[in-house]
Amino acid sequence: MAPSDDDLPPVDPAESLRLIRRQQAEAERNLTPDPRVFLWPWGLAWLIGFTLFFLRFGPDGRVFVDMPSWLPLLVLLGLIVTAGAITGVYGARAGRYLTGPSAQQGAMYGITWSVAFAGAAVVLSQVSNLLPVDQANLLWAGVMVALTGALHMAGGAMYRDRSLFLLGAWTSVVNIIGVFAGTGWHSLVLAVFGGGGMLVAGALAWLRLHK
Amino acid sequence: MTEQSELPELDPVIHAQARLRVVSALSTLREDDRIAFPRLQEILAMTAGNLSVHLRKLEDAGYVEVTKTHRGRTPTTLIRLTRRGQLAFEDYTAALRALLNPKEEP
Repeated sequence: MAPSDDDLPPVDPAESLRLIRRQQAEAERNLTPDPRVFLWPWGLAWLIGFTLFFLRFGPDGRVFVDMPSWLPLLVLLGLIVTAGAITGVYGARAGRYLTGPSAQQGAMYGITWSVAFAGAAVVLSQVSNLLPVDQANLLWAGVMVALTGALHMAGGAMYRDRSLFLLGAWTSVVNIIGVFAGTGWHSLVLAVFGGGGMLVAGALAWLRLHK
Repeated sequence: MTEQSELPELDPVIHAQARLRVVSALSTLREDDRIAFPRLQEILAMTAGNLSVHLRKLEDAGYVEVTKTHRGRTPTTLIRLTRRGQLAFEDYTAALRALLNPKEEP
């Protein structure tokens, strides 16, 4: 095989170091999954879904928009299933080109989310129909969002990703504030600060990756 | 003259633009992670033939490990940097820094 141009050594040490840094940055960019795909579908689901909850089940039983009572839940669940499908398929595809400890870690983390939510849903469905509808809504949303915040914080710890950890902490605090604010307000707080927080976090993480 | 001979030598296996880029890209993987050939090719923007040639040279030096496996029915080639390759890369970058700042060397 004839030697080609790229068999030649780099011109000087400084150029070699630049070449190394450029190539490492390019590899990181290429191998890090797009944070927007992981966060934006969920951010939109929360923003739209919980806004509908707020408009239909407002504070003190107020109804701002007189839509059918099943509509907010249907829309929120539909958007959450869609977001889960998008991130699940994208995550599985992103893991296909790497094998080894990272892929196992990613798969375990994904399974953890599913198991945690299934477990919480089973427990909540046993008790929530004993409560008035606005209290039941607060219970479901409060527990699910607490889980989301905790799992994002755990993900941040595992991937040593400060911004994911901060997003989880932010979500947890926002959830607690919303629960204390009470039924109705909780939905508004989750829509604006929870969903909005995920949209902003996705955008910031993407910008950092491509600056 | 003595100054000259004290300068570190650069590993000829890595000291070629294409192989330096291959090793740099592989060095970002976590230990024991393997990357699929087409993905590595995409990151490096090299032709498959060109990448194969350089991988073989790196494999001969014991710097990378190339594994051929099957995923379902699709044959897959996986590549990882060996411990030896990682050390060679670290030595190479240390040597570059020493060349740039010779006074910092004792």
